[in-house]
Amino acid sequence: MVSMKNIVKNFPGVKALDNVSFELRSGEVMALLGENGAGKSTLMKILSGVYTKDGGSMEIFGKTYETLTPKQAQAAGVAIIHQELNMCRHLSVTENMFLGREKVDGVLLKNNEMESEAAEILGQLKIDIDPRQTVGDLPVSKQQMVEIAKALSIHAKILIMDEPTSSLTAKEIDELFRIIRKLKADGCGIVYISHRLEELQAIVDRVTIMRDGQYITSGEFHSMTMDQIIANMVGREIKEQFPRISCSKGKKVFEVRGLNAGKLVRDINFSLYEGEIVGFAGLMGAGRTETTRAIFGVDPKTSGQILLDDKEIQIQCPMDAIRAGIVLAPEDRKKDGLCTKLSIRHNLALPNLDLLCNRIGVISRNKEDQLCEKAVQNLLIKTPSVEINAANLSGGNQQKVVVGKWLARNSRVVIFDEPTRGIDVGAKVEIYNLMNKLKQEGIAVMFVSSEMPEVLGIADRVIIMCDGRITGEVMARDTTQNEVLKYATEFEKKQQAR
Amino acid sequence: MNEKKQSAFKGLLGTRGMGAVITAFAGLLIIYVAFGIIDRNVFSGQNVMNLLRSMSKYLLIGVGQSYLLITGNIDLSIGSMVGMSAMISATLMTMGIHPIIAILVALICCLCCGVVNGILVGKFKLPPFIATLGTMFVSRGAAYMVNNNRNTDAIATGIGKEAGDRFQNFFYYGKTFGIFNTFWIALILFLLFFFLLSKTRTGRHIYAIGSNVDAAKLSGVNVVNTTIKAYLVSAVCACVVGLILCAQAGMGNMEAGNMYEMYGVAAGVIGGISPLGGTGLLLGTFAGAAVWQTLENGLNMIGAQVGIQRLVIGIIVVFSVLLDVVVRSGNFRKKSNS
Repeated sequence: MVSMKNIVKNFPGVKALDNVSFELRSGEVMALLGENGAGKSTLMKILSGVYTKDGGSMEIFGKTYETLTPKQAQAAGVAIIHQELNMCRHLSVTENMFLGREKVDGVLLKNNEMESEAAEILGQLKIDIDPRQTVGDLPVSKQQMVEIAKALSIHAKILIMDEPTSSLTAKEIDELFRIIRKLKADGCGIVYISHRLEELQAIVDRVTIMRDGQYITSGEFHSMTMDQIIANMVGREIKEQFPRISCSKGKKVFEVRGLNAGKLVRDINFSLYEGEIVGFAGLMGAGRTETTRAIFGVDPKTSGQILLDDKEIQIQCPMDAIRAGIVLAPEDRKKDGLCTKLSIRHNLALPNLDLLCNRIGVISRNKEDQLCEKAVQNLLIKTPSVEINAANLSGGNQQKVVVGKWLARNSRVVIFDEPTRGIDVGAKVEIYNLMNKLKQEGIAVMFVSSEMPEVLGIADRVIIMCDGRITGEVMARDTTQNEVLKYATEFEKKQQAR
Repeated sequence: MNEKKQSAFKGLLGTRGMGAVITAFAGLLIIYVAFGIIDRNVFSGQNVMNLLRSMSKYLLIGVGQSYLLITGNIDLSIGSMVGMSAMISATLMTMGIHPIIAILVALICCLCCGVVNGILVGKFKLPPFIATLGTMFVSRGAAYMVNNNRNTDAIATGIGKEAGDRFQNFFYYGKTFGIFNTFWIALILFLLFFFLLSKTRTGRHIYAIGSNVDAAKLSGVNVVNTTIKAYLVSAVCACVVGLILCAQAGMGNMEAGNMYEMYGVAAGVIGGISPLGGTGLLLGTFAGAAVWQTLENGLNMIGAQVGIQRLVIGIIVVFSVLLDVVVRSGNFRKKSNS
């Protein structure tokens, strides 16, 4: 269906793609793998007409395209489902599905006709969504289904899915895979980009691996081992995907007693010890993020005590938490973790201005330099200079900046909320190592993650939440994914009925 | 029959943003009745007529500005375009040029401003606040320059008393079916733009680019054209209001329409149009313009001074948005918890 040969793409100062070849056959799911910055997205943007290639040849359904506009790509049957969902939140499902190609009768919109067609397509996919509902009111997983339905409504034959599962629950992923299998059976070709290697085996037929803008290899998925794939992606053997360091468990540092905040934080009790990483597992919407926010003082608490070194502390706002030595690396890096339009220097300095300022509030350039230098060295942040904008860093390096902000302070408790979401394998290991380093320094680490293998691989103890409550606590060494999942789905009766 | 009516009613209520419109109309009713209780004259037929006529200006300005607010932009040049339209049409008429030609020239000038706004914002991606701040000064400057930095003489001096009266009656003093023409003109344009926004492809695209411009672009929406169209709507509205002001005064005033762009924002926002784009109904703008005019009228009737009027209106604007924000955040919390 698609054949791209020796594609070259230059951006000012960088060769983003260097002689990359790619092939997609009908009725197959092709995984496009590579670390962040490997050029996967650039390649797919060329296929969907967003970027123009600087060299090479591209054929879609046997037709050669020299230049391709998004509209032409659409007409040729290429549809892309973006990582950051691209929907008009204020418009309805139908309106989104038909955006840009509304059916009209003269000047009048044929709303009823569009609605019934939308309902028909959703029905074919067995997706239970009211076409009249406003997209912004739908959960993320359903929004994604709408994007897929939209792609089908334009008779797309080539679907590009960029990290489709990064914000879905296990059940929703199953639903997505069901739809992908259906599309496959209908003869669609699917390009599947994902950092979650463990989910590939459920659906993928072939893989293409890229690294640093170059084509590395491709082949049948089942003829490769996971280790080979990872080695090809990062260009070196990663000895351990989950490096664990044993530490002796020290004294209790931090305790939460009877914490309540809204419906998703209900009667939470737990403690963190020195030299220990405590994983928080659970499904999406289990209340883990809400718990971290309540502890950090972002959201108001209705009741509960927070103790640090056995002394109760009052946290009304994030400032209180930071002063007490509790810091949070939030879930959404770009939204909550960084000021993306500011430089790395300013981001690193922001929460530490009290340490960097003299008595009348003038920031010491010297101290700031020292702070940045230390952070860049300790965390191995890959950047030409600390003056560039945080937005220009790769996901993994952004995450390091988020963490780096806090390391200048003598924090006692560091909370990581989904620190590895959307970052590549190599960078993940660096984040794990960072957590291990904190653990060795006697800092209590709370590690929230939806990816079960990493929770079990990195944390020492795992607390499982479901529906705002803690439903289980296990030692990572003596448990299995199934056991964790059992706790994670321990809904109350009332919820089950829904 | 009854059932059908009911479902149609439900459909209307279910429309996105209808809640804010209903709130605005309820507020309008409360304000109106409250003033009426203080002063019975508020309810008099003549006052209602006057109300309808004077709200027409705000309605038109509000519609124009609402189009931009829904696309997530703003048009600061509306007020200046009003002045430009009034000055150009009046100057031409004092020179004895036929009113229809004068109107057309004024319209073309306003449309040019609209296109420039649309290109600056849509194509060159200038922040709309800056782009239209520029055209605001330019078109006000043009309004001054048209007649050498002076207000014009009476238009009757050029086109004669009869034609002058006809022009003034058509836009301001005359009545049709017992209601001032001004209101009919505003109502017709309102219905036209209401139709354009809610029933046509262009309207759908206007909501889409206000909601998520990237998604719209990737879906094949021509963002530049749609932005230009939205600015053209506000230009048309501004031009007509300029003609109304010209007819009211019987001459061109260089300062005509001063601050009107902000009245437009106020009318839209009171009516529940989000300045962040993507949501809002023109019906709300109607209510907003009416609230605005009822307040002005009512405060006038009970003898409040201009200072008090401004103060009250300012509070109402902030309060209505505050209400919206509180209600919405309440909603949000409910949703994220369940």
